[in-house]
Amino acid sequence: MNVTEPAFWSRFQFGFTIVYHYLFPQLTMGLGWFLVYWKWRALRSGDDKYNDAVRFWAKIFGLNFAVGVVTGIPMEFQFGTNWADFSKYAGGVIGQTLGMEGMFAFFLESAFVGALIWGEKRLGPRYHFLAAVAVATGSWLSGYFILVTNAFMQHPVGYHVEGDGSLGIANLKAYLLNPWAMVQFLHNQTAALVTGSFVVAAVGAFYGLRKIHSTQAQLYLRAGTLAGLVASILVAFPTGDLQAKMVGHHQPVTLAAMEGRFEGGPMAGVALIGQPNVETRRLDNPIEVPGALSFLAYGTFQGYVHGLNEYDQKVWPDNIELLYYSFHLMITLGTIFIAVMALAAFQNWRGRLTSSNSTLWILMLAFPLPYIANTLGWMTAELGRQPWLIYGLFQTRAGYSKVVSAGDTIFTLIGFTGLYFVLGLLFLYLIGREVYHGPHAELPGVKVEPEEVHAV
Amino acid sequence: MIAIWYCVVSFMLIAYITLDGRNFGAGMLHWLVARTPEERRQVVAAIGPLWTWHEVWLVGFGGTLVAAFPKLMASAFSGYYLAMFLILWCLILRGVSIEVGGHINDRLWQGFWDFVFVFANVLLAVLFGAAAGNVARGVPLDSQGNFSMAFFTNFGVHGHVGLLDWYTVSIAVFAAVLLAAHGATYLALKTAGSVHDRSVILARYLWAAVLPLFVVITTESCTIRPELPLRAAANPICWLGSLVVVTAAVAVFSGLSRQREQRAFVGSNFVIAGLLATGGATIFPVMLHSTLAPEDSLTAYTAAAGPNALRFASMWWPFAFTLAIVYFVFISRRMKER
Repeated sequence: MNVTEPAFWSRFQFGFTIVYHYLFPQLTMGLGWFLVYWKWRALRSGDDKYNDAVRFWAKIFGLNFAVGVVTGIPMEFQFGTNWADFSKYAGGVIGQTLGMEGMFAFFLESAFVGALIWGEKRLGPRYHFLAAVAVATGSWLSGYFILVTNAFMQHPVGYHVEGDGSLGIANLKAYLLNPWAMVQFLHNQTAALVTGSFVVAAVGAFYGLRKIHSTQAQLYLRAGTLAGLVASILVAFPTGDLQAKMVGHHQPVTLAAMEGRFEGGPMAGVALIGQPNVETRRLDNPIEVPGALSFLAYGTFQGYVHGLNEYDQKVWPDNIELLYYSFHLMITLGTIFIAVMALAAFQNWRGRLTSSNSTLWILMLAFPLPYIANTLGWMTAELGRQPWLIYGLFQTRAGYSKVVSAGDTIFTLIGFTGLYFVLGLLFLYLIGREVYHGPHAELPGVKVEPEEVHAV
Repeated sequence: MIAIWYCVVSFMLIAYITLDGRNFGAGMLHWLVARTPEERRQVVAAIGPLWTWHEVWLVGFGGTLVAAFPKLMASAFSGYYLAMFLILWCLILRGVSIEVGGHINDRLWQGFWDFVFVFANVLLAVLFGAAAGNVARGVPLDSQGNFSMAFFTNFGVHGHVGLLDWYTVSIAVFAAVLLAAHGATYLALKTAGSVHDRSVILARYLWAAVLPLFVVITTESCTIRPELPLRAAANPICWLGSLVVVTAAVAVFSGLSRQREQRAFVGSNFVIAGLLATGGATIFPVMLHSTLAPEDSLTAYTAAAGPNALRFASMWWPFAFTLAIVYFVFISRRMKER
């Protein structure tokens, strides 16, 4: 899809705003269970260091949640503003999960997030623990409903065609339990845990290197590296593996494009290096592991992997280069995550993590990488789905709002760019301040007196 | 079934406007009621911890709307394109100003975010008012159920109308005054000292201004859509809604004059809820009236999702809503206790 297509700018705007938005929920989804774990340890042991950790990370969570809310509302609205024809076509199906997300997940999370941050004294330890569980559950539920919506676009199930040609929901259970959604949920949530673990470990490493807050630093480093190792392995195997098999099974042309394979055949290799050349229809300068792709996708080296040449170019993903590099860079980063976390976990096991400066430096500087990997993963999923908006049913170029001009969309896109730049600066500044002040700082912002929290 | 979903969606919108309207109102009056940094902190503290809880009702409304009336959302959101994004940006700016303003104890920093806060709230109240005016007046819907509107055309109310004309602007002014009155009543309840005293005085003036303005916009609405008063008169819900508005208005005035701020605030919520409910019942089943050809109007019956979607939503929605109320009761009870 190029600039002259009417849908281009709406796609660009949605892509930009969703990538930006998802920087925040991936951390809250990853961090939520750390809060639950520490609060649980605080309950069991009565050791206040765990409560300190909860207090500190709840503030980080709260800031991420607030930015996630304000950047998330534009996502829901864009279904109507920019993708009106898609909403008219598929609203009868995806409206179910978009509605459920608002009603089940968002209410849960927003009701308890304030209680988690400000309510420790007033709630008491047990209910404060409950608030942590509620917030973590809310963030994961939210992810689930959005992933079901996305899975319907990747692999539509549970629908039927209504009299006016639009889609209606036929089987809610089948729609909610879409096998694609299950696999994608596992893969995506473990990836969010990787982000959470790297961020927790990075803050621990920062304190460790500065030799301050040593008790807290140790806590963050230990939890971050152990959870990080487990999550980094799970994100590759089995969840990433299952996801690739799912793509190979339901979207063979996408798998071919992800791997830059133009010729089909058995004994298909995985390219470690190589540049897809769409014009000459070949992978330039490849270094391949022979048979690996056949084995990964079908469990046997003789598995026949389809090539792009077997399909009409009209149904090829429309940006094969970007798709190929996104996918490969994601895998490279995923491998690096396992290596980094294995090193850190090994040092931790030897009892030398807090004293090993080089490991601490690596952990401190590595935290942006999972954000990049998560983004690349989503780029792989969404570029790979093209040219379809709903796979096999409805093309992206048909889904945009016909009444909105490209100029309008460019205008709002520029507006978002400026606003999100300022928002990003403020966010980084405030997070940086919290981290700099450390786990024993006072609560920021407004002080809430008990009588000010009040029912309708 | 479709009528019930029309009520549910209207209810979610009413809940959002009454809950977040107090914040718009309090935000608009921020500079008038609070003069010193300490006083301003009182205003922000009255809004502070619950604003995400209030704003989430907008998400709930949007989610319910897309589940039950996806075609309405598609037509309206794309038709109001630039206005929608202005609302979104103002919501972002408002949230940021609440979260960020208090983080640094510096007069310039706080003064700047106070300005952003007031500006965003005024614009939000005006935009929501103009949106309500647009729904009442109608939009230039074509036979495909699409429309696209400029911010303004010739300020006339027929044919190819713009977002703003003399009618929608007057509704926007009314909405701003009404929400300001609502916010002042809220602040009267939630604050103490001089902020409280100023809020009470402002609330009295603003509510006194709401009355004549209401007469004006009602007359205007009857002139522009002469069929509406007859439909309202035949609809028992409109009579009930009007009764609620009158009773609630009495509660507001008696509450304000006798220092019963709780009563005044409850009344204030019901005035807004009653007005919106009466309006919603009057236009039913038309959700978006076409100024070009009335037969092209989008009604609840043409905009609704298929029967299965509504049937499934009728199973999960009440459950989700009950849960939301349970969380809210739990949180507000627990957070009140020491």
